[in-house]
Amino acid sequence: MTVLSGRMPVRATATTLVRAQWSGLLLAVVAGSVALAVSTDNFATQFNQYTLLRNLSLTLVIGFGQMITLAVGELNLSLGALGGLVAVVSGGMMDAWGLPLALAIVLGLALGAACGFANGMLITRTKISGFIITLATGSAFAGIDFGITKAQPFSNIPSALVTFGQGRSGGIPYQLAVPILVALLMGLLLNRVRLGRHLLAVGGNRHAAELAGISPARAVVWAHVVSGLLAAIAAIMTVAQLASAQPTIGDDWLIQSFTVPIIGGAALAGGDVSATGTVLAAAVITLIENGLVLENVDPYWVQFLLGMLILGAVGLSRFRSARVRSA
Amino acid sequence: MTTDSIDATIAAPARVRALVRASRFLQSSTQAGLAIVIAVSWIVFELVGTGFLSSFNLFTLGRDVAIDVVIGLSQMVVLAVGRMNLAVGAIGVVVVMFTGWLMQDVHVPALLAVALGLALGALAGWFNGWLEVKTGVNSFIITLATASIYTGLMLIVTKAGAFRVLPFGFTDFGTRSVLSSTISPLLFVAVGVTAALFFVYRNATLGWKMLAVGANERAARLSGVSVPRMLQLAQALSGLLAGLAGILLLSRLGSAVPALGSDWLLPSFVAPVLGGTSLTGGGVAVVGTLLGALLVTGTTNGLNIVQISSFWIQVFLGLALLVAVMLDRLRAVTSERRLVLR
Repeated sequence: MTVLSGRMPVRATATTLVRAQWSGLLLAVVAGSVALAVSTDNFATQFNQYTLLRNLSLTLVIGFGQMITLAVGELNLSLGALGGLVAVVSGGMMDAWGLPLALAIVLGLALGAACGFANGMLITRTKISGFIITLATGSAFAGIDFGITKAQPFSNIPSALVTFGQGRSGGIPYQLAVPILVALLMGLLLNRVRLGRHLLAVGGNRHAAELAGISPARAVVWAHVVSGLLAAIAAIMTVAQLASAQPTIGDDWLIQSFTVPIIGGAALAGGDVSATGTVLAAAVITLIENGLVLENVDPYWVQFLLGMLILGAVGLSRFRSARVRSA
Repeated sequence: MTTDSIDATIAAPARVRALVRASRFLQSSTQAGLAIVIAVSWIVFELVGTGFLSSFNLFTLGRDVAIDVVIGLSQMVVLAVGRMNLAVGAIGVVVVMFTGWLMQDVHVPALLAVALGLALGALAGWFNGWLEVKTGVNSFIITLATASIYTGLMLIVTKAGAFRVLPFGFTDFGTRSVLSSTISPLLFVAVGVTAALFFVYRNATLGWKMLAVGANERAARLSGVSVPRMLQLAQALSGLLAGLAGILLLSRLGSAVPALGSDWLLPSFVAPVLGGTSLTGGGVAVVGTLLGALLVTGTTNGLNIVQISSFWIQVFLGLALLVAVMLDRLRAVTSERRLVLR
């Protein structure tokens, strides 16, 4: 298979595009957008684009927060509770303590990373399954969150943050800058940075990675730190969108956080994740939610469809891997 | 170490018996420890707060414990085969709404409605097991997805409405007391289910087969146990128990509300793990689960009485789970050491 003609690379690129796991997702995004644009009057309006992209921003960061733990073969059930805790703590620092905005954000992000670090250390030091550890810490984070706020939100959020969360230029929300940056960094981390390659190596085969001189414990801790950091980013984005730091933030993140990377093609056994797939999966989910709203469908269908999407995605990847093996 | 103990098995059966006795002792000592912790905490709550051991509070506590025990057992039976069920709460609320609808709108007699509700719970659980067997996807993802599907379907069908007009006999069962003013009939159900499961795992072939699957799937298959059948059975049993917990709760509350079950996940793991059930499968502690639920529910109730906010109680639940798994880990390490020392 030597490349002789100059046209080959183009064809090779086209073949890679079609063969890529996320080609179906890309098709779904395009077809879904066209169908919605034709069938509803409001889809193509600037305001709807803004709403859609704002929801996409949040969904994407939450999905990346889970994707990074799946990459190393772990999971983070405390993602939503961690986000809620960061939301009220940074909101409290802005409202009750009157700290400068930048400082409050930095401290909030640091808290998220620290909570993730605690998860990672508990898992690697005690050797107890990450499922149980993050189930337990999730309950603790949620309890602290509600305990310090007594279920009351902080509503005095600096206007600069609110403008960032609610402002737009045409159909583009300012906030879209965050997920774009996050997606680029995550793609870079997983494909170009040594730490990212180590995470995938540990996720793919922990024993082999260890023999190759990679510390699995270090990789697991790092994955949880990044996961905590991303949950914190999503939390502050939500505070900016709502213009209030509510203790219930994060309550409904769990199923979403798994749906996005799983539909995006992450293997649950670890070692195989796709940043591009995750972005497209988040777009598919946001489109579905948007379509249901535009078509005036009962919002409860979202929950049902998210579950079906997970089953469909795993079933499809099983089917595909079975075909690859038999080929 | 493994070959060592196998050699020992062949060489000296007496030693094996000693090992079995030692492991039984370890488990019973866990349960004795739990009982002591329960007794001490109750005395502390009685001394610090007022009215913890009053007959009214014991009655309330008993009703809560009865439900929490069944929730814990519904997770325990899947932990036994080395799986998990994230859909316990979803199945519970689906059964609650279905049974409530049967009684209020269809006017089905209470007993028949309960039987149909339990059947639906078992069916929903069996479907989880069937999906795992057919797709080979792990139970975490399957039950995460079906939990969302079941809850979504329930909300779509009921439009998040409630059923509040239930037969008197049914709600009376969950609110009255029997024999003395401190005992709720719900407790008899919980104790009965515990006893039945205790018998299943100790004496029935079926229980041994499920434990064999949890301990070593390959070995179980090679010795003729049908692993897929045991997985589906365990998930169906889990669904049945989740449904039963839902029905007990419905009988206590007197109204079917769609928000029920959303907070079952954590307690469903805490009770069996505190009681000494292994997370990796193959070992159950039925009585331990009962004691675990008694400790957790008692402490929650006691913290309420000494007026600690329910939010901090959630922190306590999380910490209780952490402590429980660390003890479990410690137990595994010490028993390994004992094996090596022998």
